[in-house]
Amino acid sequence: MTAELLKLAGSIAAILFIAWLARFWKLGGDVRIRSEDQAREIANEAYSGFDPVDIAIDKAGIAALMRDADGRHLLVRRHGAQWAGRLLDHHNEARLDQNFLTIGTGEKTFGSVTLHLGAQASHWAAGLRHLNMGRTHA
Amino acid sequence: MPELFNPVNYAIPAFIILIVAEMLWARSRAPEKYEPRDTLTSLALGTGSTVAGALTGALVFSLAMWIYEHRLFDLGWVWWAWPLCFVLDDLAYYWAHRSGHRVRWFWASHVNHHSSQHYNLSTALRQTWTGFIALGFIFRIPLAFLGFHPAMLLFVGALNLIYQFWIHTETIGKFPRWVEYVMNTPSHHRVHHATNPRYLDRNYAGTFIVWDRMFGTFTEEVEGEKIRYGIVKQLGTFNLLWSVFHEWVGIAQDVKSAPWQHKFSYMWRPPGWSHDGSRDTSDTIRAQWLKSQQAKAD
Repeated sequence: MTAELLKLAGSIAAILFIAWLARFWKLGGDVRIRSEDQAREIANEAYSGFDPVDIAIDKAGIAALMRDADGRHLLVRRHGAQWAGRLLDHHNEARLDQNFLTIGTGEKTFGSVTLHLGAQASHWAAGLRHLNMGRTHA
Repeated sequence: MPELFNPVNYAIPAFIILIVAEMLWARSRAPEKYEPRDTLTSLALGTGSTVAGALTGALVFSLAMWIYEHRLFDLGWVWWAWPLCFVLDDLAYYWAHRSGHRVRWFWASHVNHHSSQHYNLSTALRQTWTGFIALGFIFRIPLAFLGFHPAMLLFVGALNLIYQFWIHTETIGKFPRWVEYVMNTPSHHRVHHATNPRYLDRNYAGTFIVWDRMFGTFTEEVEGEKIRYGIVKQLGTFNLLWSVFHEWVGIAQDVKSAPWQHKFSYMWRPPGWSHDGSRDTSDTIRAQWLKSQQAKAD
């Protein structure tokens, strides 16, 4: 039993060391969306076959909101050194605050995403209103 | 019965050294191949898995011993029983793994091995905590009925696990053709971890890729096509407990809300199946993708 516990303690120590090393060596990097082409590629990765016709990229490049020809809206945001996305529907909620649009995905672990969209923010808020989202308010 | 050691215990130091070496490679070539929080989650999943295994292992071993007492053949500890046991266990692993992707109940346990969006050696250690609940052992335990001693099964199973460690890497391209034809390699296993529609639910092999070739689930890695890793609906969180239990929670929610006649289907049908067709399975995703490729070609 003692040997097993020592082994477990050793494993935890090794894990923490490796995680620290990964951080110390600055692995992961700082990924950003820098162009519409990149956003398009991320959209297709997040949701196979999603082909956006309208794209709004957050000013800091850490998230994007996209709409396809069928009117579906896809939200993508940075997840570590990768990207994760959600198709938006009536379970989500959106809040407009001047140039900022905050979208709640309804998933506690995915969380809500605030996009700095500049003057486009109100246009996208209106688009989301058409999805009959749970709550869309200014 | 000879006293057998657990080979995994001896492999762990090598695992750690190889992970650090791969991180060094990433540091100079591609820092985005590792993500500290993802690595921490993967390794914590690995440690938790060994704890879960220690808690339930004795029960599974006792069951295997009971089955062994009713065995068909007396193979004993003859030398040729070892390689034969390894090969048959690898075949059993293939079917366990295939079911782990095609039956949602089994997938709920296996999904955490796939939920990292990175593909590196730390991903290999991203193992399940809920294998016992999923009953994944039912695929490999019948070998005891054939006459392989459970201790031998445990030993060769551990060797299989060790083999699969080093193939979780992007640092190695392809091996000579004969190796790629017979063995599971980093190239074949990258395909297995990919979410690109052409690669979904392919290459289930543990050690020998020949099983996939035999049973029609083999797909070759296409040069030049960027592989994206993870699961169809990426988690978007590094939360350890959510990584372990999210699919179980999903099953519980679906079973609770589904009409009576469909409740059981949410457990045994493929991941992504829904009674109203509102979700996508790997088959429907691939079919849509093939259709779009065809449309582009026309």
